[in-house]
Amino acid sequence: MRRSRWPRIVLTAAVAAVSVVLAGCTAASPAGSGSGGAGDDAEHASLTYWYWAESDAPGANDWMKGRIAAYQGKHPGVTIKLVPQATDTLIGAFTTAAQSKSGPDIATQWATLPVLSQVWGGAVAPISDYLPDSERKNWIGTQENTYQGKVWGMPIYLIGIPLAYNKSLLARAGVAAPPTTFAELLRACAALRKVGVTPIGGGNKDGYFGAWFFSNFGKQNLDSVGDLQQAVIGTTDIRDPKVTGFYEPLHQLHANKCFNDDIASLSLDDGMSKFAGGQAAMAWGTDGIVAKWARTLGPEKIGVVRTPTWGTGKLASVYNTTQSSTAFITSWSAHKKAAAQFLGWLHDPANLTSWYEATGIFPADTRFDQATITSELGRSLWELTSSPGSVWLENYLPPAVDGDGDLAAGQVITSGGSVADAVAAFAKATEKWRGQNPAEVKNYTTWSGR
Amino acid sequence: MSATQVRVRPVVGPRVSGRTAGRRRAWWPYLFVLPAVAALGFGFVLPLLTVLRNSLYAGSVYQLEWVGLGNFSALFADDTFRTALANNLRLLLTVPLMTALALLVAVVLNDGIRGWRVYRTVTFLPYILPAVGIGVSFSVFLQLNGGLNGSLRAVGLDALARDWLGSPHWAIWSVAGVVVWQQLGFGVVLFLAALLSLPGEVTEAARVDGARWWTLQTRIHLPQIRGTIEFFVVTEAITVLSWVFAYVYVLTAGGPAHSSTVLEFYIWENGFAHGNVGLASAAAVVVLALAAILIAVYLRVRVRAANERAA
Repeated sequence: MRRSRWPRIVLTAAVAAVSVVLAGCTAASPAGSGSGGAGDDAEHASLTYWYWAESDAPGANDWMKGRIAAYQGKHPGVTIKLVPQATDTLIGAFTTAAQSKSGPDIATQWATLPVLSQVWGGAVAPISDYLPDSERKNWIGTQENTYQGKVWGMPIYLIGIPLAYNKSLLARAGVAAPPTTFAELLRACAALRKVGVTPIGGGNKDGYFGAWFFSNFGKQNLDSVGDLQQAVIGTTDIRDPKVTGFYEPLHQLHANKCFNDDIASLSLDDGMSKFAGGQAAMAWGTDGIVAKWARTLGPEKIGVVRTPTWGTGKLASVYNTTQSSTAFITSWSAHKKAAAQFLGWLHDPANLTSWYEATGIFPADTRFDQATITSELGRSLWELTSSPGSVWLENYLPPAVDGDGDLAAGQVITSGGSVADAVAAFAKATEKWRGQNPAEVKNYTTWSGR
Repeated sequence: MSATQVRVRPVVGPRVSGRTAGRRRAWWPYLFVLPAVAALGFGFVLPLLTVLRNSLYAGSVYQLEWVGLGNFSALFADDTFRTALANNLRLLLTVPLMTALALLVAVVLNDGIRGWRVYRTVTFLPYILPAVGIGVSFSVFLQLNGGLNGSLRAVGLDALARDWLGSPHWAIWSVAGVVVWQQLGFGVVLFLAALLSLPGEVTEAARVDGARWWTLQTRIHLPQIRGTIEFFVVTEAITVLSWVFAYVYVLTAGGPAHSSTVLEFYIWENGFAHGNVGLASAAAVVVLALAAILIAVYLRVRVRAANERAA
């Protein structure tokens, strides 16, 4: 009797288990933004904030801790737990949390597609539903996270990526002026090499140098970001030199020994630090990192220029600026009003000033008092970063293509590979994304035709 | 009925038939094992079923779409997956190397050389260090201008200096070297413990019969610790197949350009960094199958050895 019943019991249990799994998986479908619920009181809430900015803006974590302490002092009914996030797991950790609709009330993702991917998954509540237009109209860069007429996240700061140069090292090589064209850059490299100076400091072990190169040079043959979007969805060929031809200048710089010889075995941060150490004459860095270099080397020794012109597209002349990271309210938060009120308060003019003083990075708000900028270097950076029409091209790549293709393709070049191999790696990653993410491709296509 | 005849009611408990009592007793053992079965079910079977189910879908966790076995064909069409699989197979080559080195060190230490306990501790030390700490240290040591190349250049061996982590040709072998360095101590301690537990009489008898050092090791000692060697080989094979994520993540992050990626890293990268849950699950199923094959081989070897001993 027992022998005959036991298999049936096991079978029943297995069927039940599979049913539970299937039910659980089915439940992981997109959710709406929802509401904060009856208990959504802006003055009584316990918020969790998953925060990322320190890599862009050294000093950001301490600034945010200070702002939270100040806010909690003004709003005793609100407590905010700050949880700094790691760069490598920023997307993965939030996606995992979103799957179970638990975790932070406020989260951070990089602007545009990393944010919109979560929007399409139903994990984000539009901040424009909670803060008035009179407040939002002061924010800079909201177009990066606008979808279906709503603004889904809040910018805190702006970063531009200038090419910084060491005036005395260029002078030692007889380079009278910083390079503004690609040909001048190659000539400067040769001159610097002759006097034994590393022309450009960089590190691409983690792939981020290549990703920056994509944004700095990849847009230069494009007339609009739509050219890239069409290639990503497959309407046009991504192998077209118009889109991926920028690997040629990267290859030329590598072949002409314009980079430090150990670029492939150093991380981006370690590679850039060669500039701060006076070992490299030029380096790309964010506004905040350049400000940090200025404190080390002396502001009078550093100059900044936009990335030398290589391409001929309409975007060749525009600067590279982005809000980089975006703060947004999660769809499952029970305290959306409290979260929105706190985020809005971060754009208080006093906070904008303290942000700039703490990080050297410009706040993403027109109310920022430019009189706060006292150094010549700071004014040069502001002039570049606030220039109209700026684009950060990497924002328009789906995260999977960025990680799988953009980062890897740059590594192909910096570790000695060919342009053809780099382009092939990029193209394969795009094809893989299209095959693996049919729903995201649909959303991306709809969005790109906005 | 006579006066001496007494009607005795069978003692079966209060108003319970024998059949029902038997059935209740039959359930007791299952009740006792139920917590363990439930724990196994939720901790192992449920995740396994989830992975199997997800391997048949494409898309992110938000919007999964049925693709059947499409993920498996996509896997083998993916250059990165093929590189990961090939790299795991390359890492398998470290197992015989590790085994030979560990046996050599253990045999030497077993000879009771002066200070053998200190050497044993020193050899074992890397095994107890955290993998992330080892990875960080070696990622500095193995840079193009790091400690290893600096030492080589200092002694005039510039020609041997390589970009150990930045070259697609060397990155996976650098990872392999670090794994060997870290795992060697485990083998040494394991083999030494086995050698020390061997009965001394057999060794003495062999010596009396004129066995020299080499014969003693290859004909007397090693055959007696065959089971331990087999255990080590299979354990390490599984280790390099599915426990090297931390080394790859910290040392190379799978680069440059995916050249040092392994199956575990591929699963993590696709599942967590790129949101390709289905593809990651399909790769996890492949790893599970490979590990199951290795375990089956080990069990078969053990059974055969037991049968040979019994015969």
